Amino acid sequence: MSDETAAIDAIAMEIFSNRLLSITEEMGNHLVRSSFSPNIKERRDCSVALFDARGRLVAQAAHIPIHLGSLLGAVEAVLKTYPIDTLRPGDAFVCNDAYLAGGTHLPDISIVTPVFAEGRVRFFTACLGHHADVGGAVPGSISPSAASIFEEGIRIPATRIATAGQLEEGILRLISENTREPEDRTLDLKVQIAVNESGARAVEALIRRMGIAGAERAVDDLLAYTTRRLQNRITRLRPGRYGFTSWMDDDGMGGPRVPIVAAVTVRGDRLHLDMTGTGPQSRGGFNVMPSGVLATVGYAVKALLDPGLLPNNGLFAAIDLTVPEGTILNPRFPGAVGARTTTCQKLAGAIFGAFQAILPESEAMASSHDVLAGMVFSGRAKRRQGTYVYLETVGGGIGARGDGDGMDGAHVHITNSLNMPVEAVENEYPLRVEEYALVPDSGGAGRYRGGLAIAREVRILEDGTTFSGRADSFVTRAEGAMGGLGGANCRVIRNHGTNRAEIMDPKQRLLQLAAGETIRMETPGAGGFGPPQDRAIAALARDLEDGKVSAARAAPDYGPDLLAAALGLKATRP
Amino acid sequence: MYRVGVDVGGTFTDFTLLDERQGTVLFHKSPSTADDPSAAIERGLDEIATRHGVDLGRIVHLGHGTTVATNLVIEGRGEPVGLITTRGFRDVLEIGRQTRPDLYDYRVRRPPPLARRAHRLEVTERMAADGTVLVPLDAVEVAAAARALAGFGLKSVAILFLHAYRNPAHERRARDIVAGIMEGAFITLSSDVLPEFREYERASTTALNAYVGPRMRAYLDRFVARVRGLGVKGEPYTIHSNGGLMSIATAGAVPVRTCLSGPAAGVVGAAAIAAAAGFPDVVTFDVGGTSTDVSLVKDGKPLFTGDRLVAGYPVRTPMIDVHVIGAGGGSIARIDDAGGLKVGPESAGAEPGPVAYGRGGRSVTLTDANLVLGRLNGVALLDGRMPVDRDAAARALDEQVARPLGITLERAAQGILAIAVSNIARAIRSVSTERGHDLAGFALFACGGAGPLHAAEVALEVGCPRILVPQAPGTLCARGILLSDLNFDFVRTLIATADPASWANVVQHFHDMRTEAEAWLGRERVPADRRRFRCFIEARYRGQNFEVPVELPAIAAEGLAGFLAAFAARHHQEYGYAIAGRAVEIVNGRIQAIGAVPKAPLEANHQGGPSLGAARVAERPVWFGESWHETEVYSRARLPVGEPIPGPAIVEEMSSTTWLPPGQAARVDGFGNIVIDLKESGAP
Repeated sequence: MSDETAAIDAIAMEIFSNRLLSITEEMGNHLVRSSFSPNIKERRDCSVALFDARGRLVAQAAHIPIHLGSLLGAVEAVLKTYPIDTLRPGDAFVCNDAYLAGGTHLPDISIVTPVFAEGRVRFFTACLGHHADVGGAVPGSISPSAASIFEEGIRIPATRIATAGQLEEGILRLISENTREPEDRTLDLKVQIAVNESGARAVEALIRRMGIAGAERAVDDLLAYTTRRLQNRITRLRPGRYGFTSWMDDDGMGGPRVPIVAAVTVRGDRLHLDMTGTGPQSRGGFNVMPSGVLATVGYAVKALLDPGLLPNNGLFAAIDLTVPEGTILNPRFPGAVGARTTTCQKLAGAIFGAFQAILPESEAMASSHDVLAGMVFSGRAKRRQGTYVYLETVGGGIGARGDGDGMDGAHVHITNSLNMPVEAVENEYPLRVEEYALVPDSGGAGRYRGGLAIAREVRILEDGTTFSGRADSFVTRAEGAMGGLGGANCRVIRNHGTNRAEIMDPKQRLLQLAAGETIRMETPGAGGFGPPQDRAIAALARDLEDGKVSAARAAPDYGPDLLAAALGLKATRP
Repeated sequence: MYRVGVDVGGTFTDFTLLDERQGTVLFHKSPSTADDPSAAIERGLDEIATRHGVDLGRIVHLGHGTTVATNLVIEGRGEPVGLITTRGFRDVLEIGRQTRPDLYDYRVRRPPPLARRAHRLEVTERMAADGTVLVPLDAVEVAAAARALAGFGLKSVAILFLHAYRNPAHERRARDIVAGIMEGAFITLSSDVLPEFREYERASTTALNAYVGPRMRAYLDRFVARVRGLGVKGEPYTIHSNGGLMSIATAGAVPVRTCLSGPAAGVVGAAAIAAAAGFPDVVTFDVGGTSTDVSLVKDGKPLFTGDRLVAGYPVRTPMIDVHVIGAGGGSIARIDDAGGLKVGPESAGAEPGPVAYGRGGRSVTLTDANLVLGRLNGVALLDGRMPVDRDAAARALDEQVARPLGITLERAAQGILAIAVSNIARAIRSVSTERGHDLAGFALFACGGAGPLHAAEVALEVGCPRILVPQAPGTLCARGILLSDLNFDFVRTLIATADPASWANVVQHFHDMRTEAEAWLGRERVPADRRRFRCFIEARYRGQNFEVPVELPAIAAEGLAGFLAAFAARHHQEYGYAIAGRAVEIVNGRIQAIGAVPKAPLEANHQGGPSLGAARVAERPVWFGESWHETEVYSRARLPVGEPIPGPAIVEEMSSTTWLPPGQAARVDGFGNIVIDLKESGAP
């Protein structure tokens, strides 16, 4: 290849990449605009992507990192189940299953649609929505204590849901009627099919414009470019093997702590991530499928080494993975997988931890809250017949970095969803929120302080209300880095501030509550970075004035001298 | 009598003066004065008076587009804020919606809260969601909080209580107590600024108002004093984020409503100019030095949004939906370590600027590529006022892009242009598909210094079949101000299932809002025959968390069925389906009060020059496709009306350059706009 050709390709590749991203962004906009359920439409718990005919990810719109795993698995399952020369224009395929179709948990339903040019399949458009309920033992279909995947809702292997442009109404009804909200499922699945269709039209137009040879060449260039760019980051790292273990309190069903191990080997321009030593398969729903591990690794590597890296298959070409079977990160059939997010958070935390020794100090990060803290209330609906189910996910502390304090009260790693406004909750449900606040002293002390946790306290207004909690780190906690201290634990307090106050494990299943009782969840705080005695006096003074750190806690954490110096600073005035 | 529009930009302050009797329009530019923008206004008006013999005493209307509030936020120069709020909720302002600003990049942190935690104080009080009092306001605690905030030296206070949108009694009582203790303090109530549910967005908007309030009010006082000092007797107005005018008094009370007013007037102007020229649906495309503003105009009306960020802080006020794209003439082209060619988002801005400007810029920019390809005048820009060094641009481009890639200078420059076009096109497509619009029905309205230079390629890439280049594309905001009406939005959160029982309540609320709206128009001294009202109900299907605005001619007692039908139609239009039989929830009621301002009609009386030949000022080679093309260069003012202009051609004017590629043709219409009907080219 002459230099001239190579260069022209650099320009063509960038333009092609923009055009591909334009198509995925349009698909994403279409999905968010047209979907019905708040989970997809307002919380944007959905993703879209383009794959080539070999099942390689070519482009993904920036939505939810974990979905990358399910989408990769879905296209692979379609290619394995249906010989590619049997596909026809207007076909569409549906799947969600973790064991049969590469999914990560059942509520994430994927639709995959082939794109044709010159009579052959050239690409696939794919999209995924987190559907609020897919049946199973509990509303919402996610239960940490599910004993097997059969309790988690309808299992869909790769299945043709449209044939040559004709919707398979029977398949659609079969799926929808196996969930608690058939009307919502039907509306959103139809939208997903339409999104892929219009995406396919746009890809066809792009191929017509640049020719199939040009398009395929640009795909190869784009993936190679992504790999080369990541390899350039890897070669600058210190070679060696670095391990980190993060811990889960238990496997969701009680019992001992579960280690999540990530050993990262940097060799030349490649990374090897080895999860050997990770604890055994969960007896409940905390298992992560290999596709979920892959997506979590992709997220972590991108976040740690090059946040601007395009999510495509080139990202994975420089990474090797070892994930032993029978562990919580690679369960055997029919292990339940619904509550996989907290495990993914712990895995991301372990990878971030291993990189503390790999990255320059300014970019290294102490552990974050590393759970997905969920509160689920259910009871009689306020303004209509039937029951309501209200799910709130609550953020926590983000780890301090070598260049500054951690963020207070935010989502971390693979989640970043919005809260439900207090005023919306109180208009909608027979509940009153009594407090929504940062938790003082919950961030680990350090030269840079770990981010503070969030407390959310809810009063029950009607008898017969139930509460279920999902989280972890009641026992374990976010570690500090380079001498920084750890963050506060996660806990639930029933009837906080009364003489019947009760501190509880955040994992709760269908706790029965009477009117007037309160449930308070305090999520975990994050770890600090560097020795506390290195903290700037002004920074500690500011934390004291802002009530983010108490003097009582600062004395042991930072030492009496630093505390006295900080109290002496009058930094309150703006 | 004269009507004047003034738009304060970063570099220049633009003036548009309409002589009502003659129907003529005069454009004027004066360098901006960053410390006190009203100084440039004073000087500019003075220049207009002396140079054009205008009697400033005969100015009956003066509209002022201001970015003072925006800049206070961006530069962090606002007044520190104290917050008084419901017990248990002082951290709402800091937690926000608990998201982090970048999914992957932990270097990106949230902006600091406008009131730091020590200055956020809680008091005992509580309203229920229906506005009933659960816990009465503790006046002693409010007084203690006010004394504490005064002790911190604070001069601006935001008050936000939960559910105050439903019942503002506690907020008002707290205001009276605070006003009695903190003399002269600027006090903002959430129920005044934004009486809508969702506490974080309301808190952020309220805090921003408190943050910019005192300094904005001081600025407006200076502005009024200066124009009065020049003898201007007419009422001065400011433009706000929804493109409407409001009086200085209103702007001083709710300055947050001016936070995104910068480009809003330009869109109002674009909508009016395009509609007059027969293009009701346009995408405005304003390319400046560091960024590009894009907005959609449908049926002659700009599209609105309620959610935007100013320097990372959410503002929820009605505003024209303008999207800012990080691409402009100063965007830097560079080859990254993996061999990719990137253009932007890094920008050389105005300082040091492109290499060719000779102000110390070392990195190749989009402007340098345009110069190398002959699209921009290689000798000087701005009517010869700004010399450029094309050779320096070529040397830098050769060194930084062409040689590393092993290609010719022209191909490298062309590549930079093509990549910039694909970046901009991607953003425009995203903006339009987010709102569900197909650009095949839209014209591209190219303005700003560099919009008309890239319009042809961008229009082809996004699929707009036509381009409109207005006269003086660099002064559109100042012109838009002369085409704006007074307006103000009144809103109430209602939250009720749409049924006969709740409808009476909805009607009552609209009646109350109408009374408020009339009172406001009275204070703005709008005569009865110039008052207009637009009514909107924001509603959703049960189970949804987002609302669709439904405009209705009126909200009458027997109007429920009509509303439900209109809602279904609107939902179908917006999202592609309606759901028969599903309950509908009414969330907000909104009235926009409008005071129509007399405007000069846009008339097709543009004269132009006698012939194309007479408009020709030069010829120069321009690179396009694979070769150089000898290209005619025309002077915009001398172009004849109606005569086809064959491409390739360049049209130059003071603040802008229009590029017409080979194979395309343009013409000047009766309003003086350049119109290009694109033929689909074989562009790759």
